[in-house]
Amino acid sequence: MKSFREPLNKAKFWMLGHKARTAALVFVLIVTAPWPAKGQFLDPCCALMTAGLSSISSALQNVIGGGLNQIYSVDQGTQQFQQNVVWPLKLINQARALVGGLEGIFTQIYSLTHMRVNSATLPNSQQLEVNLLSRNANLIGQTSPNFTALYGQIPMTTDASPQVRDMIDMTDAISQDAMKRAIEIDALSDLELQAASQINQSVQNAAPGSAPIIEAQADAWLVRANAYTQAATADLMRLRAIDLANSSADIKMGATNTTNLRQQLMNLLQHN
Amino acid sequence: MHYLTFTLFALTFTWFMATASSRRRVLAVAVAGILVSTLLIAPPVAEAQGGIVQGIQAVLSAINGVIHNALNAINTVRTEISYLYQSVIWPMQLINQARALVTQMINQYRSLMAGILGMNLRSATLPNPQALEAVIRDHQVNNFSTLTQSYGTTYGAIPTAADASQADRDMSDMDDAFALDSLKTLKISDNATDLELQVANAIEDSASQAAPGSAPLVTASAVASNIRSQAITQKMLAAELRQEAAHIAHQNGLRKRGATFSTQMRGLMINLLQHN
Repeated sequence: MKSFREPLNKAKFWMLGHKARTAALVFVLIVTAPWPAKGQFLDPCCALMTAGLSSISSALQNVIGGGLNQIYSVDQGTQQFQQNVVWPLKLINQARALVGGLEGIFTQIYSLTHMRVNSATLPNSQQLEVNLLSRNANLIGQTSPNFTALYGQIPMTTDASPQVRDMIDMTDAISQDAMKRAIEIDALSDLELQAASQINQSVQNAAPGSAPIIEAQADAWLVRANAYTQAATADLMRLRAIDLANSSADIKMGATNTTNLRQQLMNLLQHN
Repeated sequence: MHYLTFTLFALTFTWFMATASSRRRVLAVAVAGILVSTLLIAPPVAEAQGGIVQGIQAVLSAINGVIHNALNAINTVRTEISYLYQSVIWPMQLINQARALVTQMINQYRSLMAGILGMNLRSATLPNPQALEAVIRDHQVNNFSTLTQSYGTTYGAIPTAADASQADRDMSDMDDAFALDSLKTLKISDNATDLELQVANAIEDSASQAAPGSAPLVTASAVASNIRSQAITQKMLAAELRQEAAHIAHQNGLRKRGATFSTQMRGLMINLLQHN
């Protein structure tokens, strides 16, 4: 206590000795001292602010809060509708499960298409058959030699007329074309089956939003597959057209041969 | 911050006032203190009440005007979008109607069409053709040997080397091989057709329960199945191509041999006439 009392006494004597300085000091410090803020009660300024803030709060609650609540209500309805009606997760998973289930059937179909159907028993026919059932487009170069080994070559110029040789060559050509096309189509259909399997697997992992993209790709493959089918059908039609042309040529050549024979018989009778 | 400034000022001012040695210095320190306190330390002048009221009115005006209108507009748009979804794009009634249509068509057509496809088409009357017909129409792929055997029984074996020329034997073997290849391919395609019909039924069943959001998955899978179906059709077409090609190759082979025989016959006749 003594340590406090001594400086206080000194200050007291100094203030009594320097009244003017003390008065100036007190005045300046009172003037510059920070005053506490006014309370909100019993103050006209704060009352106005309170009323204003209350209006703002009311406007926020009614106008903005009410409006946001309405928007929330509409959004919630839309969300529930989309979750329950448009994109229900249960049905989406059910569709994915269906796709997974179908994959088993597709595997069976793929195995079926790879069963061996070879049936020839003699060497030449076996060789041609192996080539034609190879599903390997790289072996198309072997088709013509195998074909000629089995069905023979074009007759020599001494053995057949030019018309007959042309007809035989054209028929062989179309026949070989069709056989080569058959190898191509087998190879292509194998690739299509692989692609279809890949597409189906990707559908299993797709979302409703990404499925249409996969579907578009599948549609493109379908268009491609139709084009291949058309190419094969075109070769089939060419085969039948040449068959028809051969029938017609047989009639034409028969008529020519008959005329020639009649002429030769008349010549023979005239000589006798 | 303001209290800290005031404390520093108070300490400094007191020290200067206490250490001032003359009246003139006391006066100078007092004047300097007043000036500094007035200009730098004194709290800022408060704003008039009128400014606060105007500010509050401006905020209220913004809330009741711009914000209220914007929220109303957003609410209107969202309500219209919700209506568009529920009444135009995905109306529940039409979704259920579509599902009901699928179910109704399943009930109407599935059994009927299965019955038509499953009708007995067998027409052979004699034992060997009957056996062959049965095996080529049984949709089984595990009895190719039975098919080959029945085919041989009905159409006979290839002539022995003593009975026919090698060319005839080769062509006959090739014809038989292509015919058997095609018959085996058809058994495979019949089996594949049965599986495709299972797939079609499963997809249709799924469609009867699908939602608009799950339908694209089902559709994509159906398109993939369609590609497979097309591939099977191509395999059948390839077999048909081989068969038809062999058919005209056979006729052409006969034509070639006819040319050879004609040449041989002409040579024989010339020799005969020369001998006479």
